[in-house]
Amino acid sequence: MTERVRGALAVLLSAHRPEPGRRAHILSVLSAVQEAFGYVPADAVPLIADTLAVTEADVAGVLSYYPDLHTVPRGRHAVRVCLGEACVANRSTALLESLCHVVGADLGRTTSDGRFTIERVYCLGNCAVGPTVMVDEQIYGRVGSEDLRKTLKDYS
Amino acid sequence: MATTLYLSNDTSARAAGADQLANAWAEECDLQLIRTSSRGAFFLEPLVECDGPAGRLLWPRATPGDLPRIRTGIGGVRLADVPFLAQQQRFVFSRFGQAEPLSLTQYRVQGGWQAADRAAGWSPETIIQEMKASGLRGRGGAAFPVWNKWDIARRTASDQKYVVANADEGDAGTYCDRMIMEGEPFRLIEGMLICAKAIGADCGYIYCRWEYPVAAGTMRVAIAEAERAGVLTVGGRPFRLEVFRGAGSYVCGEETALLSSLEGGRGMVKVRLPYPAVAGLYEKPTVVSNVLTLATVTEILSRGAAWHAALGTERSKGTVALQLGGRIRQPGLIEIPFGSTLREVLERFGGGMADGGRFKAVQVGGPLGSLFPESQLDIPVCFDAFTEAGAVLGHGGIVVFDEQTDMVELARHYMTFTAEESCGTCSPCRIGSVRSRELLERIERGHGTPADLELLADLGETMKVTSLCAHGARGPYPVLTAIEHFGPEFGNRLRNIDT
Repeated sequence: MTERVRGALAVLLSAHRPEPGRRAHILSVLSAVQEAFGYVPADAVPLIADTLAVTEADVAGVLSYYPDLHTVPRGRHAVRVCLGEACVANRSTALLESLCHVVGADLGRTTSDGRFTIERVYCLGNCAVGPTVMVDEQIYGRVGSEDLRKTLKDYS
Repeated sequence: MATTLYLSNDTSARAAGADQLANAWAEECDLQLIRTSSRGAFFLEPLVECDGPAGRLLWPRATPGDLPRIRTGIGGVRLADVPFLAQQQRFVFSRFGQAEPLSLTQYRVQGGWQAADRAAGWSPETIIQEMKASGLRGRGGAAFPVWNKWDIARRTASDQKYVVANADEGDAGTYCDRMIMEGEPFRLIEGMLICAKAIGADCGYIYCRWEYPVAAGTMRVAIAEAERAGVLTVGGRPFRLEVFRGAGSYVCGEETALLSSLEGGRGMVKVRLPYPAVAGLYEKPTVVSNVLTLATVTEILSRGAAWHAALGTERSKGTVALQLGGRIRQPGLIEIPFGSTLREVLERFGGGMADGGRFKAVQVGGPLGSLFPESQLDIPVCFDAFTEAGAVLGHGGIVVFDEQTDMVELARHYMTFTAEESCGTCSPCRIGSVRSRELLERIERGHGTPADLELLADLGETMKVTSLCAHGARGPYPVLTAIEHFGPEFGNRLRNIDT
C-alpha cells in the first residue's frame, strides 16, 4: 500500500469504527474497502484489525472466506462466466475455456492490458437464458464464443 | 393513436434482449412501452405484449423489425395458445408479467397487500393458526413446517426479534426468488411484515446474494417506497428493513451460516440447538424464511388456508414453483400443485430437447440434488416421495442434461464445487470433499482404479452421516448417483492395471 492509499483507507475505516461495546461488522467493512479500492490489500489487514478492535486472525478469516472478496487488484472489468449446472449443461465450461484463449488470460488472472479479469461464478439466476456471462454488473445470456468476443470489444 | 406495449425488465428478459428492443424503439412516435415483471416463460423472451380487441396478445422472441406487425396486431398469439403457460396453475406467480414491479399502487390494484391488511387485524396466534391449517412447508430446501418455526419464535420471550428473508438462492438452476424480488418486490415486504406480526419482530433483513445486484437494488427502492407510503409498519410501529449484500458463499444459504454472515463474520454453520427461532441473530429469536415461502404466505392469507390445503398431496400442500433449465427447449418457471411426476413435468412443459439432443439425465434440487436417468422419472414431485428415494426437491431447480454430457467430468465439477464451498466446520466435509475431488480428477484423466471408486463411495457415506449441514450430507449425491446410473462411463475410464 502507498502512503496515499493507507491514508484514504484510514479515513474510510474511521467511519466504520464500532460503537463502544458493539462488535465490529468485519464483512461490511471489508466490502466497503473493496468498493472503494477495488480490492482489499492484504497488508491492510493489521490496520483494519486495529481500527475495528479485532484480531488480525478475525479479519484474515473473513477476508479468506468469501469468494467475492479479493486481495489482489483486478482488471478494469470483471468477466464472470457462470459455471452453475444449468449453464454447464449449456456448455459454459467450453465457453470459459474459449474466453481464456481469446483474451490470453487464465481463470483468475488479468489480461496484460489490464482490461479484464477472468472469473467464474456459480449462478447468476439467469439459468433459463444461459449460458450466462456477467461483465461488471451487466448480465449477458445465450452467449456463444463469438458473441462473447464481440461483446468484450465494447469494453475498454 | 398511441400503442401501449408491455415488455419485461426482469434480468433474464434483459439478457434475452429486452433492452435492445426498448432502445430500438425509444424514438418511435405514438408508442408507450411499459416495463413489467416477467411471466417466467423465458424461452419466449424477449416477449412483447399488447392488448387487442379480443384480449391480450403475445409476440415471442420479438425483434426490432416486428414493431409494424405488432402495432397492427398481426402474428400475436393468445395466452391460451401457449401450452407452457396455459397448463400451469398459477397463484403465487399469477400476476407476473402484468404490472410494473415498483408501483405499489398497481400492486394494490391487482390485489396485493390484502394479506398484510388482513394480518394487521389478526392476533399472532391467529396468523400462525392459519399457517398451520395451510400446511405450508418451507421452500428453501429444508421443507420445515412454516407455522412451527414461526410459533417457536413467537413463544420465545425477548426484547428484540428479527425476520430474515433468505434471498441467497444459491442453488444453480433456480431463479424464482430473483424473479420475485425483481418482479413483485412489495410481495416479499408484505410476507416479511406478516411474519413480523406473527412473531413480534420490528426489524428485518433481506440477505441477498451479491450475484443479484438488480434484485437487491429493486428491493431497496421498494422498501423506500413502502416507507414513504407509510405501510412499512407492524402493529402501528415502524418496521426497520434493510437489504444485506452477500459475498459469494454458497453455504450462507444455510440459516445458521447466513446469520453468522449477517453478523459480519465467516459463514460458518452452527450446531442447532438452539434453533435460530429461539436464539438466532445476535442471540435473539429470529425467523429465517425463504423468499418464495414468504411470497406464498401472502397468497395464503389472501385466499385462505383451506385453498392451500386443498392443493397438492397429503404431506406436500399447495403449489410448487419448479424452475426448468438446461438442455430443454422451454426453460422457465412453472407453478403447479405438488404431485405430478417428474416425467409428466418434463413432457408437459419441457418442450423436448434443445437442438435435437437426447435426454441423458435430470438433476433436481440444485448442486446437492440427485441425478435421475430416464428410467427413474416416474417419481411424484413432492417432499416425501423424494425423501424416500434419497433425493431432495430443494428449491425446485430442475436441470436437464443431454447426451453430450460427460458424467465423469460433471461429477468432478460437482465435487469441486462442494470442496470450494465447504465452510470447513466438519472434517469429513472439509477434507472428504477435497479428497473426493482429487479422486475424480484422477479418474477423469484416465489414471483411476477400482479402489478409487470404492474409496469415493466410502468417503461419500462418511460425509452423508457425519456432516452438520446438508452441504456435506448431500454433497456426495450428485457424484454417487452419477456412478450409480452411469457406472460404465466411470468404469471405462479406469486405467488398465495390467499395462
